[in-house]
Amino acid sequence: MMETHRNNTGSKLGMWLFLLSEILLFGGLFILYSVYRFNHSQVFHLAAEALNRPLGTLNTLILLTSSLTMVLSIFFLKSRKPERSLFFLFLTIFLGLFFLFNKYFEWASKVHHGIYPNAPGLLERERGEVLFYGLYYSMTSLHGLHVLVGIGLLSVMFILILRGKINHERILPLENTGLYWHLVDIIWIFLFPLFYLMT
Amino acid sequence: MKSYIFVWLCLVVLTGVAVSVAGMDLAGWSVAVAMVIAFVKSGLILIYFMHLKEEEGFRLLRWMIPGVLAILILFIGLTFLDVAFR
Repeated sequence: MMETHRNNTGSKLGMWLFLLSEILLFGGLFILYSVYRFNHSQVFHLAAEALNRPLGTLNTLILLTSSLTMVLSIFFLKSRKPERSLFFLFLTIFLGLFFLFNKYFEWASKVHHGIYPNAPGLLERERGEVLFYGLYYSMTSLHGLHVLVGIGLLSVMFILILRGKINHERILPLENTGLYWHLVDIIWIFLFPLFYLMT
Repeated sequence: MKSYIFVWLCLVVLTGVAVSVAGMDLAGWSVAVAMVIAFVKSGLILIYFMHLKEEEGFRLLRWMIPGVLAILILFIGLTFLDVAFR
């Protein structure tokens, strides 16, 4: 029988490299945000106050909790308790969906008020406000896309654990997915004050 | 497992602090406070949830992560040298 070669350190390092490139991807957008905020500080101040802060806070707590359920899922799979691991993985997926549901709700109410990219009512407003909402939509939707991908990966992991393909001996894919999920959380930790708190 | 829950509690408390500080009128300080809290929160996640310290490639990562942050800060600095003094 041929032995499959697995390089755990290599896979982990590869994952970390990818995560670092993600930081630079969002970093570019953060630079864009800080320059526009510098040029239009008063307008950004007023526009940030118009965002739904309680909903943003709720979404922050949801993602933080989903990070906890993620590490617990890995912890229980390592301690050979796949049922508990699956339970916490399910919770993580549920919290991710809950986050997106709130996000949809938030975007829908903004769109309802005529604030969406290229909206005729929005374009008549001040330039700073157009920029703020442009950044708001592009950065939160890019992050939302990452959450969606994360939910997909977590669901694949769920099926693989269910089939026993991922277990306490071969846990690396779940760990790497966890790393990705935590990074998505970290990005939100920075997006949240940028758009909802700094007024 | 208890330490995970403790870290999560710290993260929730820090979020509460960030939100209540944002409600106060601290003028220029509100940006600084919000950013410091965000960095502390991501530090907690990196160290305790992502197990950065126990990583096998940690010796390499110890240089790579500050490296990426340095690149980012360098570019923010260079951009603002242009924007602020135009």
